[in-house]
Amino acid sequence: MPHKTLRRFFAVASMLVLAIALFACKAQKEGTQEAITIVFKHGKLAGGPEAMRLILSRFEAENPGIKVKDEVLPASTDEQHQFYVINLEARSQEFDVLSMDVIWVEEFARAGWLRPLDEVFPPEERRDFFHGPLSAVTYRDNVYAIPWYIDAGLLYYRKDLLERYSLPVPRTWEELVSTARAIMKEERGLYGFIWQGKQYEGLVCNVMEYMWSRGGGLIGEDGRFNALKKENVEALRFMYDLIHTYRVSPPLVTTAVEETTRHIFGSGRAIFMRNWPYAWNIFEREGSPVKGKVGVTVLPAFSGYRSASTLGGWQLGVNRYSKHPEAAEKLVRYLTSYRVQKEMSIKMGYRPPRRSLYRDEELRKVQPFIVRLYDVFEHARPRPESPFYMMITQVLQPEFSAAITGLKSPEEALRSIQRQVEHILTMEER
Amino acid sequence: MRQKGEGYGFIVPAALVLLFVTIYPLVYVFWLSLHRKHLIFQISRFSGLENYLFLLQDERFLRALWNTIYFTVVSVGLELTLGLLFALVLQGAFATRGVVRALVLLPWALPTVVSARMWEWMYNTDFGIINYLLGVDVNWLGSPFWALNAAIVMDVWKTTPFVALILMAGLQVIPRELYQSAMVDGAGSLYIFLRITLPMLKPVILVALLFRTIDAFRVFDAIYVLTGGGPANTTETLSIYAYKVLFQTLQFGYGSAIAMVVFLCVGFISVFYVRLLSR
Repeated sequence: MPHKTLRRFFAVASMLVLAIALFACKAQKEGTQEAITIVFKHGKLAGGPEAMRLILSRFEAENPGIKVKDEVLPASTDEQHQFYVINLEARSQEFDVLSMDVIWVEEFARAGWLRPLDEVFPPEERRDFFHGPLSAVTYRDNVYAIPWYIDAGLLYYRKDLLERYSLPVPRTWEELVSTARAIMKEERGLYGFIWQGKQYEGLVCNVMEYMWSRGGGLIGEDGRFNALKKENVEALRFMYDLIHTYRVSPPLVTTAVEETTRHIFGSGRAIFMRNWPYAWNIFEREGSPVKGKVGVTVLPAFSGYRSASTLGGWQLGVNRYSKHPEAAEKLVRYLTSYRVQKEMSIKMGYRPPRRSLYRDEELRKVQPFIVRLYDVFEHARPRPESPFYMMITQVLQPEFSAAITGLKSPEEALRSIQRQVEHILTMEER
Repeated sequence: MRQKGEGYGFIVPAALVLLFVTIYPLVYVFWLSLHRKHLIFQISRFSGLENYLFLLQDERFLRALWNTIYFTVVSVGLELTLGLLFALVLQGAFATRGVVRALVLLPWALPTVVSARMWEWMYNTDFGIINYLLGVDVNWLGSPFWALNAAIVMDVWKTTPFVALILMAGLQVIPRELYQSAMVDGAGSLYIFLRITLPMLKPVILVALLFRTIDAFRVFDAIYVLTGGGPANTTETLSIYAYKVLFQTLQFGYGSAIAMVVFLCVGFISVFYVRLLSR
């Protein structure tokens, strides 16, 4: 019956008109006085959600009209990267502020997913930041994120064991091997030196430290990618020898990640461990078997060379497609400000990327451990800085893994890396 | 009177949903695989079969293909053998049958990621229970020889219950009369098994094989959690390689080509089994 259909059509049409009118009213209101909400994505933070909520509530109090919703991403870094990639490629406006691993910023900037922050992060302020994270957030003369907190590889050692055998803290890799062997001979059931050798990003962090502390590295003096150096060969061979020749590192390191090694060292079954700063607080907790027995120092170097730690840490940036870029910038500024970084450092144990905080009286008193790491952070080196890093590391991980397990000789692995990375780097031109 | 063709109208909604959730993504992935597409470089251009040709000379791809085939053949073979054994045993009447059946199903009910984590700890060289029980000192997940086999053992542990469950259902529908008359005729138990149980079970076995082969061929989470593809890619399967290329290196074109290969292989496997089934 056409009559009925017509009436129904009018009913639906008038409802639609009403809905649009209402929506328009609401939109107009939002523009004038109603609060806007920005979404802040980050990984799980130490100190639980309450600590971050407290910091964000103060931001809301100081900036009436802006509400912040913080949303926690899955713990695995790979999953976080995947989340950002999928959503940013789809030009998602679902989040405004994002936290990024030190190796992603150039990639995201190159893809055009980040809002340049040069104006809100002026050069005179940048000078206060450590060099490593600062160069990680810079891409082609523009700044695309602000460093939030910093990480670097450290050497943990058993103070009590070194004292018992009156051995000094090793400064070189060679000393580390002889010290570990001397103690292992006396103490049964102890591992000498544990580190992270599973095929994953952590392995690259570990390998780079041996290469750099042997005077090598993946980037040549001309700025080109050059893996095939004799220093790199020696660094990789040394890592293989740690397991198979000197036998100070158990074969299990080739499957170990941070937590594996932290558990072993934390239960008192290793003399030396390479790990990030987070482990310290766990060792010093009440009830920890190694409480008061752990020392921390810079990583050793090969004799005659400088020690170097791999840089880690997280940076905050603004989604290029954000609907509220100014509010998002405000939040980034706030979260990376002197006072918030100080608060996160005191209450949650995060290492601030601002040099001046390491002279802060209060911080020195409450977090002497963090302050002592100043030199490590000052000399921490970023992994090859490149927008192609995520592709490069996919080449590095299996080849390094092959070299330390002995499936390939160091030369073979490095030659294969060189060939594959050259292929990646020429992709842009082709 | 029912009109001719009226039935088609009823399947339109379902067909549309299927078109949208399966056919469209598939066509899109195929379309992507014909492109050189890099998110970071904002490169997206048609490149024909270039990606597929590169697959042939990509050592890593060939390695992943071999790993996947090895994993599938060995794990599905073991699962079928053990599953059949379990099904036959659980078929027998004994007092705690219900409880035992429930227990057998437990590994299958656990989420893969959870069981993979569990096995990762069990395989641990240092404090893993496997080395402790066997009294050996093997670096299961770190040794190029053991790692993939260790993943297979975990998969067998996890999915044998599924095979056993399907086979048990198949055993239940075999008419008792067949066994009875065979026994009357004086057939031995092995003879009964080979001439009655197995042939009658064949369609069910094929269904179990179909499910398991397809699942095993696409294996991702079990191995990804256990080894991440290491050491040195010796446990990297096609799905893991595709995932890394797609979501970690953002080469959407090449990654889609790998995904298409997985799809084609799985397609062939399905057609093969379905043909066997309909014979």
